[in-house]
Amino acid sequence: MNRIKIFVIVGIVVVLGVLVYFPGQKLAREHVNYMTAVTDHPLLCSSCHIYTSDNKFISKLINEDYYSPFNIAVSNNGNQLYVIAQDTDELMVVDTEKKEVLYKIAVGEHPHSVILDKSGKIAYVSNEWSDYVSVIDLESSMVIDTLRTGNGPSGLALSSDEKLLYVVNTFGSDLSVIDLSTKEELKRLTTGSNPTGTELSPDGKVLYVTSRRANMATYGETLISELTVIDDDNQTPMKKDVESAYLMENIAFTPEGDLAMMTLIRPKNHVPSIQVEHGWMMTHGIGIVEQKKDGRVVQLLLDEPNAYYSDPFDIVITPDGKKAFVSSSGVDRISVISIDSIRTLLANSSPKMLKSYSNDLGISNRYVLKRIITGANPKGLALSPDGKRLYVAEQLEDKIGVIDTESLENIGAIDLGGPKRITVARQGRRLFNNAGHTFQNQYSCYTCHPDTHEDGLVYNMSGKDMGRNLTNTQSLREIGDTAPFKWNGKNQTVYKQDGMRFSTVLTRTEQFSYNDLDAIVAYIVRGIKQPPNLMYNPNGQLTDAQLRGKLLFDRSEDNLGNVIPENNRCITCHPPPLYTNLELSDVSTLADTDDPMLFDTPHLNNVFAAAPYLHDGRAKTLEEIWTVYGEDDKHGHVNDLTKMQLNDLVDYLKSLRSPEYSNSTPEIQHGSFLHSN
Amino acid sequence: MIRRRMHIVFKIIMVIGITGLFFTSCNERSMQGMIVFTQVSKDLKDIDLVTGNSWRYLYESRIVALNPDASEEKLKVLTEGYFSACSPEISYDGKFMIFAAQKKQNDIWQIWEMNLKNLKVRKVTSSNENCIDPAYLPGGRLVFSKFSTNKAVIKEHSLFTCNIDGSEIKQITFNPNTNFASTVLQDGRVLTISKQLYPDHRDGMFMVLRPDGTKEELFYQGVKGRNILSRAYETKNRKIVFIESDKNKEGANLISIDYNRPAHSRIDLSSDINGDFHTISPMKGGMLLVSYRASEDERYALYKFDPENKILGNPIYKNTKYNALEAVEVEKNERPRNIPSEVDMNVKTGLMLCQDINFSDDQNVNNTSSTSKAVRMEVMGMDSSLGIVDVEKDGSVYLKILADTPFQLRTLDVDGKIVSGPSSWIYLRPNERRGCVGCHQGNERVPDNRQPLSVLKAPLEIPKHLNKVVGNR
Repeated sequence: MNRIKIFVIVGIVVVLGVLVYFPGQKLAREHVNYMTAVTDHPLLCSSCHIYTSDNKFISKLINEDYYSPFNIAVSNNGNQLYVIAQDTDELMVVDTEKKEVLYKIAVGEHPHSVILDKSGKIAYVSNEWSDYVSVIDLESSMVIDTLRTGNGPSGLALSSDEKLLYVVNTFGSDLSVIDLSTKEELKRLTTGSNPTGTELSPDGKVLYVTSRRANMATYGETLISELTVIDDDNQTPMKKDVESAYLMENIAFTPEGDLAMMTLIRPKNHVPSIQVEHGWMMTHGIGIVEQKKDGRVVQLLLDEPNAYYSDPFDIVITPDGKKAFVSSSGVDRISVISIDSIRTLLANSSPKMLKSYSNDLGISNRYVLKRIITGANPKGLALSPDGKRLYVAEQLEDKIGVIDTESLENIGAIDLGGPKRITVARQGRRLFNNAGHTFQNQYSCYTCHPDTHEDGLVYNMSGKDMGRNLTNTQSLREIGDTAPFKWNGKNQTVYKQDGMRFSTVLTRTEQFSYNDLDAIVAYIVRGIKQPPNLMYNPNGQLTDAQLRGKLLFDRSEDNLGNVIPENNRCITCHPPPLYTNLELSDVSTLADTDDPMLFDTPHLNNVFAAAPYLHDGRAKTLEEIWTVYGEDDKHGHVNDLTKMQLNDLVDYLKSLRSPEYSNSTPEIQHGSFLHSN
Repeated sequence: MIRRRMHIVFKIIMVIGITGLFFTSCNERSMQGMIVFTQVSKDLKDIDLVTGNSWRYLYESRIVALNPDASEEKLKVLTEGYFSACSPEISYDGKFMIFAAQKKQNDIWQIWEMNLKNLKVRKVTSSNENCIDPAYLPGGRLVFSKFSTNKAVIKEHSLFTCNIDGSEIKQITFNPNTNFASTVLQDGRVLTISKQLYPDHRDGMFMVLRPDGTKEELFYQGVKGRNILSRAYETKNRKIVFIESDKNKEGANLISIDYNRPAHSRIDLSSDINGDFHTISPMKGGMLLVSYRASEDERYALYKFDPENKILGNPIYKNTKYNALEAVEVEKNERPRNIPSEVDMNVKTGLMLCQDINFSDDQNVNNTSSTSKAVRMEVMGMDSSLGIVDVEKDGSVYLKILADTPFQLRTLDVDGKIVSGPSSWIYLRPNERRGCVGCHQGNERVPDNRQPLSVLKAPLEIPKHLNKVVGNR
């Protein structure tokens, strides 16, 4: 009898299982097919429901806290490294002999650079998301002071007499000159757009500041990025135009002072994106600035005809002036350059020849000595004082690579002790920053989306015919809940955005495997944070102008008391907290060169940092969206506004920030004891 | 009682099953580590680089397997029963071999595939024309050369692809060249020896193209006066190795070029070695497997070659009656990238953009010539002009051209005189978009970042009235 009962129960369970499984599986298959836009993605619920979950508990369970080393400084005796741990907001002190971390010092949010004074006793750390510099006494390992800066402090340099600290403000596109005796900002100098790198010439006379974004220009005009030159005596800025290049991340001087060399990328955004072969999308190289009267700015490539060295980041030059090292963070390589060969090339080439070399994939053969393999995503570089060791911040490896500069061999890495487990999102971040998934490694996601944002360029994606459908690069920060994707809203998920279409239209090589696709989706959907909006909304308290602007944003009647149709009110299409209703609209911005389409409503958090605007980037500023391109009142009812009102509206828009910061206030680190192990 | 009988039946079934499994697995032995090669007794004189006779088509040849670790073992003949069998290639998982063969004398050459575990063979192609030089593509497809006789002007070997079961045969090259000896690079593209046949014969060169036939371009031109004689293989350290004839086309040497910069990285690995090489392939561990003979009086034998030190090792296999050629190791190898296709057979045209027809690498580097400026471009078909178009002020031109149709380009000045050209043969696959910098751009030239004026308008149609030819696009 008992046996019969067991058989009956088992039988019922089996039948129920079959009844649930088959239709259930069919439903699951349909659901996964829709979400991924393919028909054979494995039926793994975890791909979406675990790895892209916004539940804090699940997120904590599946993720890890990595250090992500970014920039490095070396002590005067070479015994210690000072490493920026960008993700844990710390400065790590590392013993180069014992190859271990001695201690960690808490600094501000998202630290960027570290420099030491000449005595080697004081370190300065720029905290890009906190808008201050931490001053650290290295003997006591204590933060002894903080220095207020402009928005987004990054690159640092001391004046030749060490009385002034120069702080590059990336988000503000300017440079703070801080008097170290009074701790006050003396001057704020305008630089190029989105600057980062800075270096003082060996004779202490000039400071160079590189910029990452090109100057705003109408599509089709020559791309120009600015190299800012500042006189160290009187802190007056001048500029040098660098044509057809951007993402000039860092710069270094030869010890003789005759040349400055910077990393750069030469995009081909004006050329229809119809192929990748022959550098048709991106090329990567260095800029050489001759330090003499009427000195030229020459651009040379690091790439080869069938191999590209994507995303050059940092550059350092040996004390003997013979070799330069460039970290190509998109391909996990260090390129070693013979500076004498560069000098020979410059001396023996006419201006016309040099211009031609900037588009010559074979030229690197004349000065690149070697390519050295590193760990994942090599970023900041630093040389030991004797020049014999090159230290490499392997950002997505949590290690510092060590290279012998004479043998040009990788002699082992210093493990910073980060988590050994590579999480799905971390793998996604590695894929995002690696060019291995594009044809011949020509570019990574980072190339067009530096710092997971956008590069400020408009591309001719030539979907059907060439010359049509210009596309403004969009930011990838906190887009996880803003489906659909693509300006025309055709991609319902990030899976579809980065799936087969991505490989056919953009990368032109094999598409991501499903494991890799899951990883990169997990990273994009949940792993990318917006920086705080310290420039326009540091603490959630709106200014009077912003409050007036908010009223205009929320209004339902115009200045004459007429009711504004609901579908033409700002708040309708751009409701908080993401400021998008996730729907497609016609805002009368279709161009003659566009195929007919409606536009996906973009989210507006941190919109102040996302110029140019509209789907084809035609509006250089927020104002132009209406003053130049909104005359028919189809993109919101605005033509009744006075100029002051429009200013207020724009001020309000600039204040929009990630909802994550709504309940937080910025932390200011005073000269208190903040020392962690 | 019933239960006992059921137990006995069950035991009998188990015994039969296990026994069957045992004997089946005995016959399915892995060939990993073995060397498969082509044996041919005939002299290899008078090779014909156009027809492929005595070069690609090795009549009365057979494919054998050798265990290099057990030289006392006899060779195993894999293609017993075939009149001719050659051109072996191993699949990326090391489990299968494709080859070209004719069952009987005068049969059409077809492509066959052998399961290396049980040595069972199946026919892949059933073509009316000879098929030769198969290579595995990722994604379950093959690429091979097939003789085409349906062209009015030129008869040549074009490249075709098909599924591994022989279905969906697609032609992917359309120029009046003959194409042989294809291999697949790690980046997913097909590398082939391509020799122009019309209007004049030119030396063969390595062309590279995507597996759908798009983006065909020069990979390596070769040295003037020398012939490329073998398949090219990519090694793990990204060298491309192949055989190239000596000057005056006598003798043959081992050549290495860099994948990263193929046009300017040629190294003769065998410069200090007398004798001839015939074929080459990479081995696990970095060595090269080569067919070599010290003099014309000898047969080609198999050797290992150390490319780092340029040293020829001792022979692995030698036979006074047979030449040992086309040796490949049976090993797993990294699968190349599976490149997506941009071809759409519903579209009858392709698009081509030239950034500046007056651009020339030579001219820009040393501008002392006073060549007339070109203002027009002529597109020339096999036997007639397809059209002449005016270019834009910036020298750019944007064309919509009938797909799968070979054409050459030449530029004309304001008086209609030829400024440059004709170019090499070009073809565009349906829906392909192709760009170039200029008429004499080198292979290492990158475009300027500027918007060509020509793309601000609709493309110019070639031939004129293209819509009448193709109907609606």
